[in-house]
Amino acid sequence: MSVAVGTVVEGMDAHNKVTGQSLFPGDLARPDMLHMKILFAGQPHARMDSMNTSAARSHPGVVSVFTAADVPVNEYGLIKADQPVLVGIGSNKTGGSVARFVGDQVALVVAETEEAAAEACGLIKVDWFNLPVITDPFESMKSDAPLLLPGQDTNIAKHNRLRKGDVRTVWNQCGSIVECVYETPRQEHAYLQPEAGLAYIDKDGIVTVEVAGQWAHEEQRQIAHVLGIPLDRVRVRHPAIGGAFGGREDISVQIVLALAVWRLAEQGILRPVKIVWSREESFLGHHKRHPYTIRAKWGANDQGKILAAEVELVADAGAYEYTSTKVLGNATMQCTGPYDIPNVSVDAYAVYTNNVPSGAFRGFGGPQGAFAAESQVNRLASDLGLDAVEMRRRNLLMDGSLGSFNMPMPEGVTIRQVVDACAHQARWTNKSYASPLSNHLRRGRGFACAMKNVGFSFGFPEECWAKIELHGSTEIERILLFHAGADCGQGAHTVLSQMAADACQVPLERVELRAADTSTSKNSGSASASRMTFMAGNSILGAAEVALHQWRSEERPAIGEYRFVPRQTTSLDDETGQCDPNISYGYVAQVVDVEVDTETGHVQVMDVVCADDVGLAINPQQVEGQIEGAIVQAHGYTILENFILRDGYVETPYFSNYLIPTSLDVPDSVEMVILENADPQGPWGARGMA
Amino acid sequence: MYPFNFEYHKASSVSEAISLLNQHDGAKVLAGGHSLIPAMKLRLSDPGVLIDIGKIDDLHGINASKGAVTIGGLTTHSDLAASIVVPIGLSETAGTVGDQQVRNRGTIGGSVVHADPAADLPTMLVALRASFHISGPTGNRTVSAEDFFTGMFETDLEDGEILTAVEVADEQSGTGSAYSKLFNPASGYAMVGVAAVVTVASGKCTEASVVLGGLTPSVMVASSVADSLVGVKLEETSIAAAAEAVQNDLGSDVLGDIHASADYRRAMAPVYVRRAVAAAVERAG
Repeated sequence: MSVAVGTVVEGMDAHNKVTGQSLFPGDLARPDMLHMKILFAGQPHARMDSMNTSAARSHPGVVSVFTAADVPVNEYGLIKADQPVLVGIGSNKTGGSVARFVGDQVALVVAETEEAAAEACGLIKVDWFNLPVITDPFESMKSDAPLLLPGQDTNIAKHNRLRKGDVRTVWNQCGSIVECVYETPRQEHAYLQPEAGLAYIDKDGIVTVEVAGQWAHEEQRQIAHVLGIPLDRVRVRHPAIGGAFGGREDISVQIVLALAVWRLAEQGILRPVKIVWSREESFLGHHKRHPYTIRAKWGANDQGKILAAEVELVADAGAYEYTSTKVLGNATMQCTGPYDIPNVSVDAYAVYTNNVPSGAFRGFGGPQGAFAAESQVNRLASDLGLDAVEMRRRNLLMDGSLGSFNMPMPEGVTIRQVVDACAHQARWTNKSYASPLSNHLRRGRGFACAMKNVGFSFGFPEECWAKIELHGSTEIERILLFHAGADCGQGAHTVLSQMAADACQVPLERVELRAADTSTSKNSGSASASRMTFMAGNSILGAAEVALHQWRSEERPAIGEYRFVPRQTTSLDDETGQCDPNISYGYVAQVVDVEVDTETGHVQVMDVVCADDVGLAINPQQVEGQIEGAIVQAHGYTILENFILRDGYVETPYFSNYLIPTSLDVPDSVEMVILENADPQGPWGARGMA
Repeated sequence: MYPFNFEYHKASSVSEAISLLNQHDGAKVLAGGHSLIPAMKLRLSDPGVLIDIGKIDDLHGINASKGAVTIGGLTTHSDLAASIVVPIGLSETAGTVGDQQVRNRGTIGGSVVHADPAADLPTMLVALRASFHISGPTGNRTVSAEDFFTGMFETDLEDGEILTAVEVADEQSGTGSAYSKLFNPASGYAMVGVAAVVTVASGKCTEASVVLGGLTPSVMVASSVADSLVGVKLEETSIAAAAEAVQNDLGSDVLGDIHASADYRRAMAPVYVRRAVAAAVERAG
């Protein structure tokens, strides 16, 4: 019998995506459907004084126009409900008439055609009263800065404070002290599929939204909150999703679609409503990776032992909270790297501005912190005359290490094995040398390593549900797996099916997956935080155990339902930051060779060696795909992409001026080392993968 | 986006094309379509009438005779890049235009009359002291490349005229030409493009022509650089010193955008001048 876990199987979505048969949200259609366009504020900070929608309402083809006054509970947000669904007159929440970034939504126009809806949007007249625009988080932090959100006495959304040991007492023991300021830019997710969705009210009166998201149950919760209706009156379903990378963690079109069909139904109009954002709307309308300014002062003794790290991080959260407070936690963790440092002082701030909101993006604050940490270690090594890898070996975390949060690391710390494997594969030396081609080109290589949390962090409640039905008589002929996990293109559904087949010891072909639908599944949490394989695997193992027990008791079908709840993490102590931040970690190391034109500053990435400890690669091909994709995205982040906001306005809303890497920009291949050191808590030993 | 509606006419001779052009107010000539069609699809251009000259045989082909090379206006960048009869700097320049698909469709005539400040061929053609053959309702005329380019997207071409051919002199031994550019990372357009043509005799530079593209609203002759090269023994230090003189040629009106600011382009100008001149000197032998 083939055991599905650990083998390469073709992605179950691959054939239909390649042949164009998969239905993405923009492909969905229903008879008699209407089309919606959103009027965006286009103002970085302004109060609406008046709005006239009469010309839009009487425009040919327009069915209805909705404004703030039509929103039952005009607030939403993943962590904090601090953003108006629609900004404008008649909002029933304080501050609801103020636009705080250019992409705040102002009005919805529903019409017979998309063209008519777009034309009518242009006919809406709004008078804005300009308010002071703050785009610099350092300005926003000042005590005399105008306050950007109601009910707050500061623009600082969150301050994380770590105090371990006492950095002040050890600077004089350091043979080298390196101080540097690092600035990391915004980044656009640039998924191929812009936001889109279709909503309707089904025959049972359920408000149904078919949309690309990362967490169906959370989207359902926020829709129900805004409409003021019970959860079971709302259904969210994810069709094929064209990439997410954290960019679909927060709401885009879900609530406004639901609102439109809900209000239309009240007018006796029971017609589906569809919306598809243009690329420009997508660039304006969803959050970006947080820009960070990181000031770091690290010291090490002559033997290369890091004695102290003092770091201050300031993140531009943009106009609303989104996931900023959680992203900040990850940056707080990563800014001291995977190192055992006895004295740590970190102050990390997420600060509101009138820029496009910042939020979840692959790595979730980790890349920003890691960039500073790894640069610091490289500088210290260079200053002390130590090899960059040897410097790391003298400081890496191991089982039993306390980490910067002053709590023991979860068992299974393998960063040392990962670093060694990467250095070995790359035949590590860090000498720079002239290119054979030209004397203004120089080649050099760099080393970096990091850890990545698996699962929600810092006390955020974590759970994952699964249900397995075993059908057949004498043998299991068919497995039905119910799970809410989103497959954003990372291969989650294939991996879930493989795990269900393996848990029940039946061939993969017998597994049928019913996924990503709130009407058939309970909450499985989001496809984010590198958690889905880990959490879903554990929930599937639990459900399979129950189902197999039922099967042996002759139940037909045998049904097993299981809600996996991992060890509860804890939030940072206000004074010291001490906590148990994460359930588990994956570990990574990289060597990158670059060629630098010393006259122009151009950097060409030549070779990449990447070693990841994934615990167990459930589907090795999907893991390789994740690594390659992540490296290309990181390449763009580091070298090519440049999201420009000027005074709160987006200057790069197109792929013609926001440049992401193409096949011509990236190296031909990535040399990958996939390590499989089992995570004691992971299903089949797996750590995080998507 | 779809373009606005337009009328389409196909001309089978230069005279028919000129007569069609003069019958239709605001009509545009369609050659390779690699500047015009994108502009129409973005609805930046709405010519109403297109006169397709793509099938006019007389406008195709490269002919070398009596010390001159005549290049038909419809010669594609790919054909130029592959040609062994045109000066090596010109084939090199054509090989840097856009990508392979663009080079297979785009034409020398189209590039020249469009006069995009970030284009490549105009820069090299001015450096090669090319002349342009033009036909119009009142007959034929010839204009030097330097006089042809009058501003950003502006040329000496009158309404109803068509550029039929480009003529350059054969490259003599002792002369080398080269092109060096700072590519726009997406389009390949020149953010800085430098064309250099250098003649060397007895180890010294006897003649130099250096032209800048991408930096200023229209192609710019870098006469200060050329003056600094002539009469000098060309080696690394003297070329570098001459390249610095480009700042005298640039003036205050340097272009900038989100991909490369004016300051950066200005700083890069001497780098690319140096690279182009050094390559041309090496080819001069």
